[in-house]
Amino acid sequence: MSETRQMRHGSSIGQPVTRRDGLLKVTGQARFAADNHPAGLLHAVLAVSRIARGRVAALDLPAARAHPGVVEVMVTANRLALALHPDDKSVPFSFKLDLLQDDRVRYAGQPIAVVIAATLEAATEAAALLAPRYEAGPVEVTLDAPGGYVPESVGVGDPGEMRHGDVEAGLRAAARRIEATYETPLQFHNAMEPHGVVAAWEGDALSLDMPTQGLALTRMRLAALLGIRAEDIHIRSPFIGGGFGSKLLSGPQVLGILAARLVGRPVKLVLTRAQMYGPVTHRSPTRQTLRLGAARDGALTAIHHHVRTATSRHDDFLEPSAGVSHTLYAAPAIATTNEAVRLDTGTPGFMRAPGEASGSIALESAIDEMAHACGMDPLEFRLRNYAEVEPVSGKPFSSKALRECYAEGAARFGWAGRPLAPRQMRDEDGLLVGWGVGTATFPAIMFQAEARAVLRRDGTGLVESGTHDMGQGAWTAFAQIGADSLGLDLDRLEFRAGHSDLPNAGIAGGSGHTATAGGAIHAAGAQAIARLTEIAVADPRSPLFGAGNVGVVARGGRLLRRDDESRGEAYADILARAGLDSVEGRGSAAADPAAAERYAMHAHGAVFAEVKVDPELGQIRATRLVGAFAAGRIINPRLVRSQYYGGMIWGLSFALHERAAMDPRTGRVMNADLAEYHVPVNADVPSVEAILVEEQDPHVNALGIKGVGEIGITGTAGAIANAIWHATGTRIRRFPVAIEELGR
Amino acid sequence: MYDFAYHKPSSLADAVKLLAEDPDAKPISGGMTLLPALKHRLNMPTALIDLSGIAELRGIKREGDAIVIGAMVKHFEVATDPQIMAAIPALARMAATIGDTQVRNRGTIGGSLANNDPAADYPAAALALGATLITDRRQIPADDFFVGMFTTAMEPGELLIGVSFPIPEKAGYAKLRNPASRYSMTGVFVAKGPKGVGVGVNGAASCAFRQKEMEAALAANWSPEAVANIRQPANDLNSDIHGSAEYRANLVTVMAKRAVADAG
Repeated sequence: MSETRQMRHGSSIGQPVTRRDGLLKVTGQARFAADNHPAGLLHAVLAVSRIARGRVAALDLPAARAHPGVVEVMVTANRLALALHPDDKSVPFSFKLDLLQDDRVRYAGQPIAVVIAATLEAATEAAALLAPRYEAGPVEVTLDAPGGYVPESVGVGDPGEMRHGDVEAGLRAAARRIEATYETPLQFHNAMEPHGVVAAWEGDALSLDMPTQGLALTRMRLAALLGIRAEDIHIRSPFIGGGFGSKLLSGPQVLGILAARLVGRPVKLVLTRAQMYGPVTHRSPTRQTLRLGAARDGALTAIHHHVRTATSRHDDFLEPSAGVSHTLYAAPAIATTNEAVRLDTGTPGFMRAPGEASGSIALESAIDEMAHACGMDPLEFRLRNYAEVEPVSGKPFSSKALRECYAEGAARFGWAGRPLAPRQMRDEDGLLVGWGVGTATFPAIMFQAEARAVLRRDGTGLVESGTHDMGQGAWTAFAQIGADSLGLDLDRLEFRAGHSDLPNAGIAGGSGHTATAGGAIHAAGAQAIARLTEIAVADPRSPLFGAGNVGVVARGGRLLRRDDESRGEAYADILARAGLDSVEGRGSAAADPAAAERYAMHAHGAVFAEVKVDPELGQIRATRLVGAFAAGRIINPRLVRSQYYGGMIWGLSFALHERAAMDPRTGRVMNADLAEYHVPVNADVPSVEAILVEEQDPHVNALGIKGVGEIGITGTAGAIANAIWHATGTRIRRFPVAIEELGR
Repeated sequence: MYDFAYHKPSSLADAVKLLAEDPDAKPISGGMTLLPALKHRLNMPTALIDLSGIAELRGIKREGDAIVIGAMVKHFEVATDPQIMAAIPALARMAATIGDTQVRNRGTIGGSLANNDPAADYPAAALALGATLITDRRQIPADDFFVGMFTTAMEPGELLIGVSFPIPEKAGYAKLRNPASRYSMTGVFVAKGPKGVGVGVNGAASCAFRQKEMEAALAANWSPEAVANIRQPANDLNSDIHGSAEYRANLVTVMAKRAVADAG
């Protein structure tokens, strides 16, 4: 193991290499799932429910079937039998699926039929001709729904209640107390690429073009549902147009596969934008109450973070918003509690930084309110309550450069000299100006992954791992790790990814893909090098003969004696003399339970925001964002910066733009499109900067990677909310901030 | 897509005849509202009667103390026409803020006035300037023309052929655009003309309306300060996901102030 733990100083890791798939993307040659058109392709279109609860009483099947071009209409009666009930959740990270199992409607937008036709237009028209009639029941779709329950767990197995110390005593002892309730909205992922599938059956073998963040899990569940062997399912997912947690296996994709089986021809099924507001998960609304106590000197005495959130009536996922309070600020007493209510909606799920994003905006707002109550600068207040160890567990951090993040971010932003009181700054146009700060945090999570690495006789290398590129740059970052693990220049490495037939790379989620699959690739490369080394050092004709004790270094396609780098030999020569075409290594990676037992492992960051507010209209512009993040080893600073930008812009969106508005009468989303579901455009984001703060973590994993996919969204939304308060003196606790609450 | 007939008459008389013959036919000008409505199946006419081939509906001319604009004149033409820019520059500026470039090069003034979308820009100008709407059979003062949401005084089969705007002494316009849709959340058009002061408001209520309290205040004292403390009652204003009635009431005051400043 010491071999894989040892970090090579290769030429690729740490370099700001541009995306290897960039040219394909900008020239339109990158082939996304829906770009595939196998011969004989038919088009499938979903008919979805317009009611949120009840049953489908009738469908006009004759009208739909009679429409020119229609091949078949798939409904409950003719849908093929499944080997596993759609509600079965034995595969990890899965949710109950709606696969036309009966006439029940559990939420608006649920698939109720699939029309398969020669053209997309014919299928679309025939789906409208189904003209469903319903028996509709009353619906509850907001957090104001009556009742609720106390969940045993939230998120993925996190406890529903956590108590550390005596919060009530801490509050009683406090010189200052605040209690405030914050609301975050219902949100949908809205990946640019809609969920879809192109499915083709050949006998019992299934060929799929389908975006997925988890090739192996998707294949496992499909095999179970369809009753076929996993090896007979071949999924190509080379490019994913954004997933953000919504692109594991979705019900509509399974329906596309079943439709192909039914008609015996390849079928493409792609959701419309509106259909993405139902069966493919979302982030639930939350209502969070923070009670904080602080001593006269600003030291927190207690944090109580209570969350009310929602799940669907038929399945379970609760946004674990209070988790951020376990790790971020030192306090002798911390409690987190949850309550939940069941709604007539699709099931919520993992949406970028599930829990951390929604919890961060509430916690960071409350911390800011307490800083003000204590008469302290909000950054000074955060430093006053800096957690030297993880507050709840008492464990040391594997590494934590948050102090440096605060310092570098504040310096770059120009935080010094910020007036303590709100409504003190104006720009030359008379707009109110405010500055705010928020702390970013996200746990360093790992899953399980495998990889294969090969050194070939022609001096090139091959790395295989079924990794997932969602736009974050997996094609590039993993190739960089692979090249270094094999001691090859990047252009000598072939990297294969995005296919279910390759070694299982786990999932692209939890910000853990680079650490996990990267660790597996690194280990595979190390094993290939170790095997090559064994051959060389045992061969009297090699300049490396007998170097086994001093060790060798692999670099630039050559093995070199560690104690004398002038003595070495090219890989190709070693293989040729040994009469081998190649030498292969296999590697795997997973979280190290021993390290997790000893250390708390999180990435951190500090985000500073400037906003300008029109005092007459309440219109808000986030004019500057500066984020400084420490997330362990950075494989590719260009890609990482891009991830931080994306996260911070999503944080801005969280604070100011995104909200799905539910019609409480029908249970339908009223703004199920990108015209009315607002996301930031370029004009909304004048300036974003991301600073990469140096952090070396010897404990978190072999490569020292913590992950950067989600942390950017945390901290940012709170920073903007706090800047709005600083600009206006009005504390908005419901997000996104409505301009009408400021325009007074 | 369902079927419908398509006609492109070359004279007003032919268009009126086609409309009279088929009560379920619809005239189409720029199609900025009707086409999306068709796509959403909110409207399923038997026939579309395309007005773009009718010369009588085009053209901008000065007639005495008024500017007369044909119904099929596009927003871009209103925004850039030298006569309008000289006589009623606020109207040209208003037209330059409608929708986006594509909309301004497709959408027409007649279509906008006849459709009477609550968030459309022109109705506020027509009210404030005291315009006259000219149809194939009569002339209708703006005060009588805009009846309610998407509703005008025109009868079925009646065609708008143009609009006559009296040239004001000064006029100004200000609106808050929804940053996503670019529709007017609330816009105010102010005008000072021979017949007095007009203040037209769009976007705020179910139909554009005149703000008479502001008109009186500006008649007495033409300055932004004159309207700065006049509060529009929120009772009948729109409340939706973009802004509450109270917020729009505030916008009426702020936009009126800015419109007067714009007028100079």
